[in-house]
Amino acid sequence: MFIPTLITASIILFIAINVVPGSAARAVLGLQATPQAIKRFEHKHGLDRPLYVQYVDWAGKAVKGDLGTSFQNSVAVGPEVLKRIPITLQLAGTAFLLALLIAIPLGSLAGLRHQKRADGLITTIATLFGSTPNFWLATLLVYFFSLKLGWFPTGGFTPFREDPIENIKGMILPAISLGIVSSGLLIRIMRASVIESMESNYVETAKAKGAGDVRLLTHHIFRNSIIPFLTVGAVEFGFLVGSVVIIEDVFRIPGIGSLVLVGIINRDYPVLLAASMAVTVIVLVVNLMADLCSQLIDPRQVRTMER
Amino acid sequence: MEYPKIRNFMLLSVCLFSGLTMSANTTLAGEGKYGGELITAFSADPGGFDPAMGPSGMSHVVIEQVYGTLINLDANAQPYPGLAESWTQSEDGLKWTFKLRSNLTFHNGEALTAEDVVFTFNRLLPEDSGYSYRSQIETIDSIVADDELTVTFNMNTVTGPFEIYMAFPGSSIVPKDLVESGHDLNAEPVGSGPFKFVSYSPRDSIKFVKNENYYEPGRPYLDALTYRIVSDPTALSNGLKSGEIHFSNEVPPKDWKAIISKSNMTDASLEGSRYYWMIPNHERGALGNPLVRKAISTVLNREAIVKAAFFGQATPMLGGVIPEWNWGYAGISMSDPGGNIEKAKELMAQAGVEVGTPISLMMVSSWPPMMSMAPIIQANLNSIGFNAKIETMEVPRYWDEVWGTSDFDLTVMYWLSPLADPDDFVTNTYASTSATNVHNGGSKKMDDLMMAAKSAVTLAERKSLYKQQQELSLEDMDVIPVVNGWVLTAHTDRLKNFKPMRTGFLKTLKEAWLD
Repeated sequence: MFIPTLITASIILFIAINVVPGSAARAVLGLQATPQAIKRFEHKHGLDRPLYVQYVDWAGKAVKGDLGTSFQNSVAVGPEVLKRIPITLQLAGTAFLLALLIAIPLGSLAGLRHQKRADGLITTIATLFGSTPNFWLATLLVYFFSLKLGWFPTGGFTPFREDPIENIKGMILPAISLGIVSSGLLIRIMRASVIESMESNYVETAKAKGAGDVRLLTHHIFRNSIIPFLTVGAVEFGFLVGSVVIIEDVFRIPGIGSLVLVGIINRDYPVLLAASMAVTVIVLVVNLMADLCSQLIDPRQVRTMER
Repeated sequence: MEYPKIRNFMLLSVCLFSGLTMSANTTLAGEGKYGGELITAFSADPGGFDPAMGPSGMSHVVIEQVYGTLINLDANAQPYPGLAESWTQSEDGLKWTFKLRSNLTFHNGEALTAEDVVFTFNRLLPEDSGYSYRSQIETIDSIVADDELTVTFNMNTVTGPFEIYMAFPGSSIVPKDLVESGHDLNAEPVGSGPFKFVSYSPRDSIKFVKNENYYEPGRPYLDALTYRIVSDPTALSNGLKSGEIHFSNEVPPKDWKAIISKSNMTDASLEGSRYYWMIPNHERGALGNPLVRKAISTVLNREAIVKAAFFGQATPMLGGVIPEWNWGYAGISMSDPGGNIEKAKELMAQAGVEVGTPISLMMVSSWPPMMSMAPIIQANLNSIGFNAKIETMEVPRYWDEVWGTSDFDLTVMYWLSPLADPDDFVTNTYASTSATNVHNGGSKKMDDLMMAAKSAVTLAERKSLYKQQQELSLEDMDVIPVVNGWVLTAHTDRLKNFKPMRTGFLKTLKEAWLD
């Protein structure tokens, strides 16, 4: 599924960037875009050729690992994307981990205390988290924790190898901004999953045998509840990778998201396609990993597939 | 502000002031402190690093650090020797001869000679060169290398601002051999400037290190320079407030007071040349009538725009587009800063415009000052009988539809003039052949007047012609001057001896140091 998905995604993006109004030449040349300068720019970058020729040319080179150079500044796109993938993965991964750390306990507790006060409170928190715009949360966090308290930097990125402490400090606020918002949906999924398990016969039997809440959760509910949670979690991770576009900009983090933004603003399709391909690969890999994890947790899924 | 005295001796200007001017523009060795890295912030990515191709202001602030020009401009836009240690102009004004410094080298170690100068300008001159500022050099007839260190420009007409043009980043000298070997300067610039290019990462940063072989002894002081690209204005302000960013001359007006009030920040703002003008499309109904355009200019509440869109950090433009600090300023005050509804209504009545005539105001959604001034302009237009509506577009679409096809009624644009010469202010805005003439305006009379002002022999003549040009511009009201936004600059108080430039350029950073 990898290759067809990548091809489809690249065609859709290529068409989209060429259909929306605004040309690369004018986006780069701006105010001083004389007809001669535009003509020269378009010829230099092959933009005066038919669209299908441009796409086939790009795809042919991309297959060989050459993702082209930016129209705006001749930066080689492939190495730039490779350099940025770990940064985005670190941010998205940290945010997702934070979302899990919030969602699993809170969602489980809400499910166990279904229709009780704790359930109501946690459901309200989940709604609040899920409906908070992440850029707004980011602004608030920077105001209090960076400008008022001075605990964290307002933005920027320090490579882990250069200074691990600064790297972690720089990731905390962006990860919170993304993780809190993502946890809203995950809390609700975990809660629903636990409620469903609570209604099953094996849980009723365990209850009849006198199992307490903790034993019920750890020995009977968790393993069954986590499978649908993982599936939705993988999809949510995809959304999270998409959300980094804004958060990376707000926190000045040089990841894939900021590259996507450059590609869109400048109608720079080599940059946009390469960055978007990277995001597509990340999402596909995460979904694959979620499927594998589900099979590890529930071997019946493998047997079903084998039949 | 006085225009350089050098321009008063046009008949035979012998400019042997390498010693004199250098002492005026540099600090004695030992005064400053060497070392350190200055982190600055800008709001946009550059559009390339090749002087022949880099079209944007953001490209120029990179180019000016990496490359060298024959002449430099100081903080007051006064020319002083750059790569050329001296230059002369012939008696008839048609020949400029530059004497290069000896032992000049590019960052790759190659020698910089007259051949590189000839190559640089021959690369820019062809009509299809794609050079966005070709109008600056179109009066060059030919360039000749007289010897290894002497180069002569033969002009086809006297060109008043020629020295200023030679200081423009687009006129930076590039290494002939390297470019001819196929090296892409757009990706990796190689020049002879105070800093060497290290790396560029889009939407992130541009890094430079000190050029140890820079031709000015003891310069620059800084070991390294980093330009951070911070497109979100709030993130830029936060970086300055927290001290993570040391310097910016793009401080968002809304945060300016809060930033400069911090004890560790220094304000270095000044009125520059970032002017905003309203563009009425002459081919759209009533806007083709000069009386209507004058009515709009008359009713415009520039004072309110200064307060609402610039938080007070702008100057209303009541006459032409040449600002008061420039020697070409004509002192004409045609409009009331707060607008004059009655007078504007009279003009509308004379023009016979019907009440309720629809008009649209097209703005770029991501440019805060434009969006802030839109409702004020809309209210002003409605007060004289228009039925104005505001429309918005994102930047690339705006360039395509408004700039490319002139599909608009009214819009607003801004321009940070990279030169301090009146020719740059007026030609860019009023020439019928200018790339900014998207409003289908201009006239032969105006073009001739601007050419005469550009080619006049004495400063007094040029000044008088620019006064006439500004009077004509207000009579035709081809475009409507709005305000001149200040170059809002704030930096850490550790940065010493920095002199802000009205052009928004940062050439003077080579004179500054970190304490």
